[in-house]
Amino acid sequence: MSGKRKLLQGYTFMAPALIVIIIFTLVPIIYALYMMFFKVDLLAGTKTFVGFENYGKIFSDPKFWAAFKNTGEYVLIVVPIQTMIAMVLAALLNSKIQFNRVFLSIMFIPTLTSSSAMTLIFMWLFNNNGLVVNLIESLFGTKVQFITNPDLALAVIMIMNIFSTVPHFMIVFLSGLQDIPPVLYEAASIDGAGKVKQFFHVTVPQLMPVTFYVITMGVVGCFQIFDQAFILSNGSGGPQNSTLTFTLYIYQLAFTSNDMGRATAMAFILGIIIFMVTFIVNKLMKADQVNG
Amino acid sequence: MKKIIYALLSLSLVFSLAACNSSDESGGDGGSNSEDQSITLAVWASSPAESNALEETVSSFEEKTGIDVEIEVIQDNFQDAITARFAAKNAPDVFYLDAYVAPKFIQSGVLLDITDDVEDSADFYQPLLNAFKGEDGNLYALPKDYSTLATYVNTDLLEQAGYSVEDVPSDWEGLVEFAKELQTKLEDGQAAMVFDGTMARHLSAFIASDLNPVKDDGMADFTSSQKALDYLQSIVDGQDDGYILSPQIDLGMDWSGAAFGASKAVIMIEGNWVLSALKQDYPDVNYTILPAPTVNGQQQTMIFTVGYAISKDTKNKDAALEFVNYMTGEGQQQWSEGSGTLPTRISVAEKMNLTEDPDLKEHVEGAKYGTPWTSGVTLPVISQSFDNQFQAALNGDLTVEEAMKAAEEEANAEIERQQ
Repeated sequence: MSGKRKLLQGYTFMAPALIVIIIFTLVPIIYALYMMFFKVDLLAGTKTFVGFENYGKIFSDPKFWAAFKNTGEYVLIVVPIQTMIAMVLAALLNSKIQFNRVFLSIMFIPTLTSSSAMTLIFMWLFNNNGLVVNLIESLFGTKVQFITNPDLALAVIMIMNIFSTVPHFMIVFLSGLQDIPPVLYEAASIDGAGKVKQFFHVTVPQLMPVTFYVITMGVVGCFQIFDQAFILSNGSGGPQNSTLTFTLYIYQLAFTSNDMGRATAMAFILGIIIFMVTFIVNKLMKADQVNG
Repeated sequence: MKKIIYALLSLSLVFSLAACNSSDESGGDGGSNSEDQSITLAVWASSPAESNALEETVSSFEEKTGIDVEIEVIQDNFQDAITARFAAKNAPDVFYLDAYVAPKFIQSGVLLDITDDVEDSADFYQPLLNAFKGEDGNLYALPKDYSTLATYVNTDLLEQAGYSVEDVPSDWEGLVEFAKELQTKLEDGQAAMVFDGTMARHLSAFIASDLNPVKDDGMADFTSSQKALDYLQSIVDGQDDGYILSPQIDLGMDWSGAAFGASKAVIMIEGNWVLSALKQDYPDVNYTILPAPTVNGQQQTMIFTVGYAISKDTKNKDAALEFVNYMTGEGQQQWSEGSGTLPTRISVAEKMNLTEDPDLKEHVEGAKYGTPWTSGVTLPVISQSFDNQFQAALNGDLTVEEAMKAAEEEANAEIERQQ
């Protein structure tokens, strides 16, 4: 009896959050699972059952493969780099340098900036008459075009994203570093390990659970990159689909093509991809076997 | 414990219900005369001048009729928000409808057919009215205002380079040649001409070059006319040689108007939306406005028009109709004068003496021969493909012909997928 009462109590306390999650997260997800088998015209509100046709259409669309390539590249490049930089910076800040609080505050500013504002700043820096292009021109004498060049447009977004997410992950690593017992470092230095060796043989292994969290969040975040690509290409994913990401493609399907069925099917594909990648990362890093 | 929780829960329920009730009691006696009718109007965020003009014109309407108009400014992407509102069966009574997306809304059958409720439809500029007609020939929105493109020339820079306005050619090929020559006499960081590479600015030039990018069956066509390819080639060549530049990408300015106002560009082909910025932000710049250049010997310009549409499921059909007719009729002069937009009725344009105004003369003339930026349901897909691929031609990654072939194929594949 008391068990039941406890249960009721628990659910009563959880009720507000639960109701919100059910209405705004679970129901839409279930509805999307149902919608992906239909051809949906949002405006007219009509639905016709098409079975798996939406998937066929997506896989035959070169734009899907462009988005696949771009997003894959993006994740493969951005996640390792941002994780490494964040870890190294955290280790540096954790040592006894002066003004590290000031450093921390300054470094955290990019994370607080909204991504749209950040994109506009970067576009201003990287446009063909911007600071970066002119600097390269005065140093090397060549004019490199970033935003209009399909090979480099995505790189601009990558740099921007690394710049704005590193500080957040750095803080996460920093809190992980506080938990490493100083005894380990003492033992390592008695054994004759220098600072660099200590970092690789004590800090990195001890941080493994935190690293797993950072990589997972990084992967999920990178797969869902939207606003930067949207602003940079004005919603088109250009030049030549080089900045078309999965989420931008979903957006185009839903609103430019007015085809919500294909958009939900694509969202489901993206969900499966993120799930699989996270699963592989988990298996590779053996996150559940690390002695925390 | 349990009792306390139940008591709390039931108390909170009672309170929330009570709150609902008290707010509903102000609903009035439910009389349906126009005295307490109200309609919602959804608009996008625009310049302060336009917002003020809209509020003032709406106030005049409210005073005249007693109908209450609630203006809803949608800050984020307007088309997406309106689409979502229709999907949620929560559409505004009246809303701005861009001619560009009108065919999709008309085809979906969510708009009220207003063919028989328009006052004096012959008074409208017909190209503007036609932009809101469905395939059935019925009318689904009334144009509230429009913009057209014209050629702006910075006379100070022109004279510094040793030319006068009379030297500026009126045809596209001549203008390109002139820009090439002019560029040699300008300082670094200045462009003879700025351009916009999106399809919205070039549709009329395509049509003048015997190319209709949206075929009768809705499919894309960018390759069937050599003249149109040559036209695009001239832009690409101009950008390569640095005399026709993109304001954002090459000059690092926000938009053409800023490049022109900051004396970084001598010639731009822009709409009358630049006028308020030129007057307010760059009052020292002297400019002359010429008609948009002829292409293939034909007068051409783009018309961008926005209408008032009424959603089919509106509960206040009569009030909404009255409002739309007022805003595009009796109240149009007040709106046009306040916002600086161009009136869509010929009689209002005459009353305002717009053809006497050197700034507006060419823009108003353009309404007679221009091409509205709308062309069936598939235009958004086709223009997106064009914008995506034409960039490749500008970069030099593809030739113009290859890029246009790619755009055509991309658009047609997508249109087929949508069938």
